[in-house]
Amino acid sequence: MNQSEVLAKLQTVFDNVFLEPVALTPALTAKDVPEWDSLTHISLLVSVEKAFSVRFRVGEVEQTRNVGEFADLIVKRMQER
Amino acid sequence: MPDPDAEHNLQTLLLEGRPEFWDGLKLRTREAADFSELFQLSSLRKKAEARQLPKRGAVHKKTRLALLGGYSLYPLHELVGHLGDTEGTPCELWLGDFDNYISEIMDEESGLYGFEPQVVLLLPAEHRCKYTGALSDSREAQRAEAGRVVDSLLELARKIHTKTHAEVIMTNFMLPARRDLGAYRSRTLGSDWSFRKWVNLELGFKAPPYLHICDLEFLAARHGGISARDERAWFESKQPCSAALLPDVAREVVHLIQNLRRAPKKVLVLDLDNTLWGGVVADDGMDGIEIGDTSPRGEAFKAFQKYIATLKQRGTLLAVASKNDHAVAAEVFEKHPEMVLRLNDIVSFKANWEPKSDNLRQMAAELNLGLDSFVFVDDNPAEIEIVRQFAPEVATILLGPDPSEYVGQLQDCRFFEPRSITSEDAGRTSQYRSESQRQALLAVAADMDAYLESLGMEGSICEFTPVDVPRVSQLINKSNQFNLTTRRRSEADLTVLMTDPAYVGFSVRLRDRFGDHGLISVMIGRQEGETMHIDTWLMSCRVLKRQVEDEVLNELARLARSRDCTRLEGIYRPTPKNGMVREFYLKMGFNLVYRDETSTRYELPIEHYQPRPTRIKIVRRAYEPI
Repeated sequence: MNQSEVLAKLQTVFDNVFLEPVALTPALTAKDVPEWDSLTHISLLVSVEKAFSVRFRVGEVEQTRNVGEFADLIVKRMQER
Repeated sequence: MPDPDAEHNLQTLLLEGRPEFWDGLKLRTREAADFSELFQLSSLRKKAEARQLPKRGAVHKKTRLALLGGYSLYPLHELVGHLGDTEGTPCELWLGDFDNYISEIMDEESGLYGFEPQVVLLLPAEHRCKYTGALSDSREAQRAEAGRVVDSLLELARKIHTKTHAEVIMTNFMLPARRDLGAYRSRTLGSDWSFRKWVNLELGFKAPPYLHICDLEFLAARHGGISARDERAWFESKQPCSAALLPDVAREVVHLIQNLRRAPKKVLVLDLDNTLWGGVVADDGMDGIEIGDTSPRGEAFKAFQKYIATLKQRGTLLAVASKNDHAVAAEVFEKHPEMVLRLNDIVSFKANWEPKSDNLRQMAAELNLGLDSFVFVDDNPAEIEIVRQFAPEVATILLGPDPSEYVGQLQDCRFFEPRSITSEDAGRTSQYRSESQRQALLAVAADMDAYLESLGMEGSICEFTPVDVPRVSQLINKSNQFNLTTRRRSEADLTVLMTDPAYVGFSVRLRDRFGDHGLISVMIGRQEGETMHIDTWLMSCRVLKRQVEDEVLNELARLARSRDCTRLEGIYRPTPKNGMVREFYLKMGFNLVYRDETSTRYELPIEHYQPRPTRIKIVRRAYEPI
């Protein structure tokens, strides 16, 4: 999977977690989405890990600065499997 | 795995604004296996609420639930809120700050107390449940420290309860699942493994009635110790356990909240062929059925019967509903040497060709119990379906294809969990069996008065005492039919009420020459000036038409007059189940004062009250020395 494929699949995960529709773009950050607080974030990560069958390492998701980097991280962890 | 079709269906129902959405949501929530599925369902629920999709059925009052502990309570609170909502126990939530529970509890000005919780869920921090000395310290020193941990937890619960009267649900501690210390872990109390195990046991043994243990040790063991934990989730977001275990914890919490106001089921109704034994007795004959220690299958059926016998011992009534010829079915119980259950274990035996739903209704009428206290067990899906359709109040269990799994299925059904075991539970089968003997006597007695006289009834009336509180609370929470106000009260509520001088409360025990009915009626009065308000008046339907209600009124009038009251005031609050007492106060000589949709008020002047004559000999009265 490349970044855009991951983004497409990620969109369905976001649709299930957030109440209001969120249109994912690589430049999007949590600050742009009112519902995306540190609490929703926990649930979001559980859903993402399940959907992509990956497991992030401690603290690394926090390091990503936008959805694009997050998608790259998913790609990286998928390649390790 | 979430089923994409089902997900899609719920979405469609939501978009079309169809109220069936809620039924689908409830079903999916019950079946949801993992965290992200539950979380998605919760999001769907919130979307539906935002759209104000209409709900069908009763609107439930919200329970004010406070969550606090040594962890981040999100997203546990999301799951608890969702499960509570879909299971008819909606909660208004208050969340404590991360690891701030001790000051939230000790500071009387804290937000916890401002919230006035009815239920408090406390998750004490695991890192405070640890032996601080050396593994090689003396057993006494280690045990003393474990005792101090338990005492400080009990003190927190006591503090919450004294200040708020709330019921407290406290999680205990998961055991470590890593191999650290090896086999040595069980040779010292200083290891986390034995220390926590010891604290958990002592906490459970010492818990007062208002404290309910959410058994995290058990939940983690059932789930699997390694996957119950997630170190990363602790470092990143201070979670109490892995996301995989979280739904189990949330379900348990909601189950415990529901148990506060809900009685266990009372009657287990059993099918016979391929349920209690293998094979069909009408075809295979008594010699051909599989039961007993001669074959693995026979052993499995016998083990199932043995487990059912332990349920009976715990106070569950057993009944039979079978499509069979009565004599053929009964003969197995009478004569088969390997049967564990015998005819005198069964309070109602229906082997005939009527639909089982009809048989269940008849049993309910005979035993004077609501259908909603019945659980029906069968291996045949068609029979289960008939009961679901025509007696929907009955809970059903469809047995799987393998009899070796029957015991586990029943053990996991959660219908018969004891709250606090009272000795009267164990004697219940004999009470109900003597009820049928009394019915027989009624048939021959010439008139009602002579019949009542012949029973030789003795009543004993007693103010609420601490030792009676579990039984009184049990009766308050399970009586539906003869119950004028249907106000539910927990053991903790009653303990508080007993110290309030405005209240009088008493219970009645009745015995007759066929046996002891135990504690069968409860009255709670609240004095306001010269008026005694009847807050609660209820009675077990086993003793209908036995003049118990007359003696209860006599006693209340006596107590009210001794407190200088001049009138009694009673209200009837209708529910779907208490129609039998709609006109009760009029029958008892009260006058109608006021009627609206939700209640009817009656009064009875008592300055010249004449006690109502009965055939019950009262051997003790309330608030009097024995």
